[in-house]
Amino acid sequence: MSLLSKLEETLICLKAGRVTLPYPAQAQPLPEKFRGRPIFDATKCIGCAGCANNCPAREILVYDVCQEVRVLQYLGRRCTYCGRCADVCPEKAITMSLEFENATNQIGDLGQKLELFMSTCQRCGRCFKGAAALDELKMKGYRSDDLESERWVYRAHAFLEGEPAVADIEIELD
Amino acid sequence: MIARQMFEEFKARFGPLIQRADLPSDSRLYVFVDRSAVKYVCQHIFRELDARYVASIGSDDRPFSGTFLVAHNFAFDKDHLLCSVLTQLPQDDLKIDSITAMVPAASWAEREMRDLLGIEPVGHSYPKRLVLPDGWPEGKHPLRKDVPWNEVPEGYDEEREFKFDEPPEGCMVVPFGPFHPTLDEPAHFRLYVEGEMVRGCEYRGFMVHRGIEKLAESVMSYNDIPMLAERICGICGCVHNVAYVQAVEDAAVLKPPPRAEYIRTIMLELERLHSHLLWTGLACHIVGFDTLFMQSFRIREPIMWIAEKISGNRKTYALCVIGGVRRDITDELKTELRAVLDKLESEWRAVVGAVSNDRNIQKRTRDVGVADKLLVKSAGLVGPVARAAGVDIDCRRDLPYAAYDRVDFDVITAQSADVWARLVVRMKEVFESIKIMRQCLDKMEDGPLQLEIKDELPIGRMGLSSVEAPRGEAHHFVITGENNRPRRWRVRAPTYQNLQGVPAMIKDQQIADMTISLGSIDPCFSCTDRLETIDLRSGEKKVWSQQELLQMTRKKEP
Repeated sequence: MSLLSKLEETLICLKAGRVTLPYPAQAQPLPEKFRGRPIFDATKCIGCAGCANNCPAREILVYDVCQEVRVLQYLGRRCTYCGRCADVCPEKAITMSLEFENATNQIGDLGQKLELFMSTCQRCGRCFKGAAALDELKMKGYRSDDLESERWVYRAHAFLEGEPAVADIEIELD
Repeated sequence: MIARQMFEEFKARFGPLIQRADLPSDSRLYVFVDRSAVKYVCQHIFRELDARYVASIGSDDRPFSGTFLVAHNFAFDKDHLLCSVLTQLPQDDLKIDSITAMVPAASWAEREMRDLLGIEPVGHSYPKRLVLPDGWPEGKHPLRKDVPWNEVPEGYDEEREFKFDEPPEGCMVVPFGPFHPTLDEPAHFRLYVEGEMVRGCEYRGFMVHRGIEKLAESVMSYNDIPMLAERICGICGCVHNVAYVQAVEDAAVLKPPPRAEYIRTIMLELERLHSHLLWTGLACHIVGFDTLFMQSFRIREPIMWIAEKISGNRKTYALCVIGGVRRDITDELKTELRAVLDKLESEWRAVVGAVSNDRNIQKRTRDVGVADKLLVKSAGLVGPVARAAGVDIDCRRDLPYAAYDRVDFDVITAQSADVWARLVVRMKEVFESIKIMRQCLDKMEDGPLQLEIKDELPIGRMGLSSVEAPRGEAHHFVITGENNRPRRWRVRAPTYQNLQGVPAMIKDQQIADMTISLGSIDPCFSCTDRLETIDLRSGEKKVWSQQELLQMTRKKEP
């Protein structure tokens, strides 16, 4: 009786053959819905902060450096890839990518920072998404008017330099 | 109207000691009793009415009612009723009669209450610390509302070692855990052995207590917590995810759309399938039968892949939000899932056929780690451990949730109460799961996935939810609260009860059977805090202390 079951077990093993996949030498296909690292698309983002409001790990920060520039910072440290941000994004600016091999020594590598230009409606005071990117760069927020030398300074550097809003975490080895 | 009958009976028996009750539905009963009567009401419910003990919950309710809340939860499985016996304690007198004399299963829950909230169980049979480390200062109770979630109290001594009990006379101590080759989570058993026989043990666990409940109550919000709950367990994550959501829905009286219920059922069963196959593999690995270990893991892999296809991840499905689910099972996925199930069924049938007559594995598992009906009752054991002892309980049938009331399945039981019986129960349950999933796929109706929740959730309402995890019943208790988050959320995982039965299961058996006995419920072990090295050239011995080892392993890269 027991010998028979041993034979059966052997048969099961032989029938199965070799099943180990040649990973990582060969990449394996991933399903369409796979939830990898979220990728934020600055051209689609309207800065509504829905993702930040719904992130269970509190990994998305939104702050305004001035009336016209809103920064959306994804820290990527504790992110569990749950995909809530992508679910709630009204503009589909967040995609859960197929990236999952994200091991890094610099945890800051996983972060993303979006500088979003927010135009202000002159009638209602609300922000709206500006026109083309090239036009945006000319507008206030991406431009500071240097009074001393009487010229324009482009880019938002005048506002964004200095201390980051949230320091990157340091991995304590001690 | 069983809940009302039960309440009437309590009133008749205990009179004015029953203060008030809340009967939100036929399947839930909350009775508020005078603190002097808790012991007697619990005794009545547990012994005379023969209810099953589920969990005890302490809660700091001071900001709202000025009192502390203690609840003892019981399940009347045959009547499909969950009953909670609650009492309020004034904040200057935090003593409550311990119920451990009548309900031994409440031992851990009362110790936990004492550690985390400072509620003193008077007359507890073994009032030692359970959750907090020995170096934690007295009088600091982290679950109280006035303690911030991230506070490390002054005077906390991280290096302080646990104080263990003296072993009985004539016994040697063999340490098991926190790290042990056969199992992967930390728990420490000090086995008292006489020769090869285990005569008793002391358990020290909670080394990875993460404060999830505190975090949920103070930082997160209703719809964030499902993703957190999912991380309570690496195997039955979806169970906790669903259990939490159901507890909130129970409290707020929300009914998720039917399609969502079916999807929940399917995902829970998918999880049971992979868990049972994983457990069978691991159990066989523990007893040295690696053939089946390999084969179960091979058979299990397609389940992980289909789960990944449905939810986007192998294990963390991130399935539920309050009032529904986030993932749909499309027709395409249905076909694929059916194919996976068919293949699994035939492969598993072959394995079960081969293994059930294998004498080697039976020799290692028969009459080992016996947990009989009496132990199941007194220690509150759940799941396959209880069913293997012939105790016919299963939350899916007894306390139906999701779509389980609309499917047909058998509850598998066995009689011999040993590890072999648990193996048989789990192997057969795989077929029942497949049966349930097929029915769900057939019956699943079209419709929305999520309920539209227009208003805020009501405040101060209680909700209970029991979900049959692969290892047994997972129980969640929720009190809804302000600021879009629950006021109290208590989780009782199945192993919380099952581990309490282990000392009795391993008593008076060979030490070699310890691993499989423990493994048969699903937990972990082993360590020494020192390590000995010998310099080969000089032959000099050096004993490393814990401190030195820590420094060595944590040395910073230059």
